[in-house]
Amino acid sequence: MRAAMTVLKEQFKYFYLVRRLSVYELKSNASANYLGMAWEVIQPAIQIAIYWFVFGFGLRGKAPIAGVDFFHWMLAGIVVWFMISQGILKGTKSIFSKIKILSKMNFPMSVIPNYMVFAQFYPHLLLLGIVIIVMQFLGYTVNIYYLQLPIYMFGALAALFSITLITSTLATIVQDVQKLIQSVMRMLLYLSPILWPPQILGDKFPMIVTIMKLNPFYYIIEGYRRAILGQGWYFIDNWQYSLYFWSLVIVLFIIGAALHVKFRRHFVDFI
Amino acid sequence: MGVTKMEKSVIVRNVSKRYKLYGRKLERLKDLLIPRKSYGKEFFALRDVSFEAEKGDIIGFVGVNGSGKSTLSNIIAGVIPETSGEVTVNGQAALIAVNIGLDRKLSGRENIELKLLMLGFNKKEISELEEEIIEFSELGEFIDQPVKSYSSGMKSRLGFSISVNVDPDILIIDEALSVGDKAFAEKSLAKMMEFKEAGKTMFFVSHSIGQMRSFCEKALWLEFGEVKMFGQAGEVLDEYEAFLDNYKNMTKKEKKKFQKKAAKKRSKRQKHS
Repeated sequence: MRAAMTVLKEQFKYFYLVRRLSVYELKSNASANYLGMAWEVIQPAIQIAIYWFVFGFGLRGKAPIAGVDFFHWMLAGIVVWFMISQGILKGTKSIFSKIKILSKMNFPMSVIPNYMVFAQFYPHLLLLGIVIIVMQFLGYTVNIYYLQLPIYMFGALAALFSITLITSTLATIVQDVQKLIQSVMRMLLYLSPILWPPQILGDKFPMIVTIMKLNPFYYIIEGYRRAILGQGWYFIDNWQYSLYFWSLVIVLFIIGAALHVKFRRHFVDFI
Repeated sequence: MGVTKMEKSVIVRNVSKRYKLYGRKLERLKDLLIPRKSYGKEFFALRDVSFEAEKGDIIGFVGVNGSGKSTLSNIIAGVIPETSGEVTVNGQAALIAVNIGLDRKLSGRENIELKLLMLGFNKKEISELEEEIIEFSELGEFIDQPVKSYSSGMKSRLGFSISVNVDPDILIIDEALSVGDKAFAEKSLAKMMEFKEAGKTMFFVSHSIGQMRSFCEKALWLEFGEVKMFGQAGEVLDEYEAFLDNYKNMTKKEKKKFQKKAAKKRSKRQKHS
C-alpha cells in the first residue's frame, strides 16, 4: 500500500513531466517518416478498412448488428483499441528501452510507463475526433451520451498505466515477457467486442461471455460504443460492471506499484 | 586548503558491487525465483571501497582496465546501485561520460530540451540554458539534425556541453575529455578549471596520467576492485606509474599469474562481520 501511495504521489508531482516527455516521445517516433504524425491516423485507417472487408463484408455479408450497420458498430468500438494495444506494447517495453537514457539522473522511474502510455493519448484524441466527424455523416450525430467519454478515457489510461506498471517491471527482468505480451494483445483483439459481437454467444454460452467480460478493456470498448452511437449511459446501466472495472484497476495498480518499487533500484542491473 | 572545518562532499563507506555471472539463461531465472539457493558465479566489481572527498577536491581514479573505476563513478553518480555499503553525496552529481544517453532520433536541440526537462528545469530556465549549451557545443547547423547523424566526437561534445552547463555540485568525468579535437579539449579543460575555482568537487577517470598530474589534487588507485592507494595525486601517480612499468615488463607467464590472482580474488565470497 505504501508503494502505491509513493507511485501515485509521483504521478501527481511529475504530471508536467509526463505531458512534456510524451510529446518528445511522439516527436521521436514521427521524425523518421516523411508523413510523420499522419501515420498515427493512416495506420488505423488501413486496419479498419481490412477488418471491415473481412468481418463486415466477407463474413457477415453486411448484416447489421442489433440494428446498427457493421461499419458504424465496429468504428465506435475500435477507435479506442489502437490506444489500448499501443499503450500496452509501448508501456511494457518502456523501462527496458528508456533506462539507458534516464538512469543517469535522479529520475522518478514510475513516470516512464506513464508517459509512454500518455504518448498514445494524443493520437487517440486525433483519431477520436476524426471518427466523430465521420459519424456525423453516417447519421450518428452529437448526443448527450458523449459526456461519458471522458470517464472511459480516464478509465482506459488508468487501466493501461496499472497494467504496464506490472508488465514493464517483469519485461525488464525477463525480456521474454515482451514477446508474451505481444501475443496476448494479438489474441485480445479477437476476444474483445471489436470485430464481432460476443452477444451472439449469449443465448447458448452465457458463461463464455461472462469470462470475456473479465477483460477490463471489454468495459472500455463497450462504453465508447454506447457513447458514440448514443445508446445510453453504459457505466450507470451496468454499474456492477463499473464497480468490477475500477476494483480491478485498483488491485492491479497496487500490485504494479509494489513490484515496481521493489525492483526499480535494480533495473539497471538487469540489462 | 588549511581551512579548519572541512565539508564532506562525498562519503563512500565499505561499498561493494557484486555482479552475478550466469552460465546459462536458466540459471539467472532460477536465481531470481528460488530464494534460498544461490546460482551463478559471483564477481566483485568493487569490494569494500571506502574514501571521503572534501568539498572542492579533485580526485582522479586510476587503475588498469576493468579495475572498477567506471563502476565506482557510476555508483557515486547514482546510476547503478551498490550491493552493500553506503554512499553519501551532498549535492547534485552529474556524470559526464562518452555515452550519456541521447535519443538518436531526436535533434541535438530536442535532446538538450529533453535532458534539461528530465533534470527538473522549467521552461524559462530551459530556453536560457539551451542557447548556452548550443554555443558551448560548437555544433553549428548540426544542432537541428538528428543525433544519429552525428560523429562520435560531436555526440560527446553535446553530452559534455549539457552536463557541464547545468551547473552541478559534483562532477564525475569518465574519459570524456579524451574525445573531441584539441581545441574542444582545451576549452573543456578551461571549463573544468572554472569549476575548480568555484570549489566544486570533481572526480576524474582517465588513462592519461599527464592530464591527471596537471589537474588532480588527490588520486585513488583501484586494483581488482579494491582500493590500493589513496592520497596526494603526486605520490599515488608515481607509485601507479612504477607499477605500470613493472606490469609492462612482465613476461606472459607472470601476467597470466597476475590476472589469475585477480580473478580468484574477485570471485571469492566476501567474509564480512
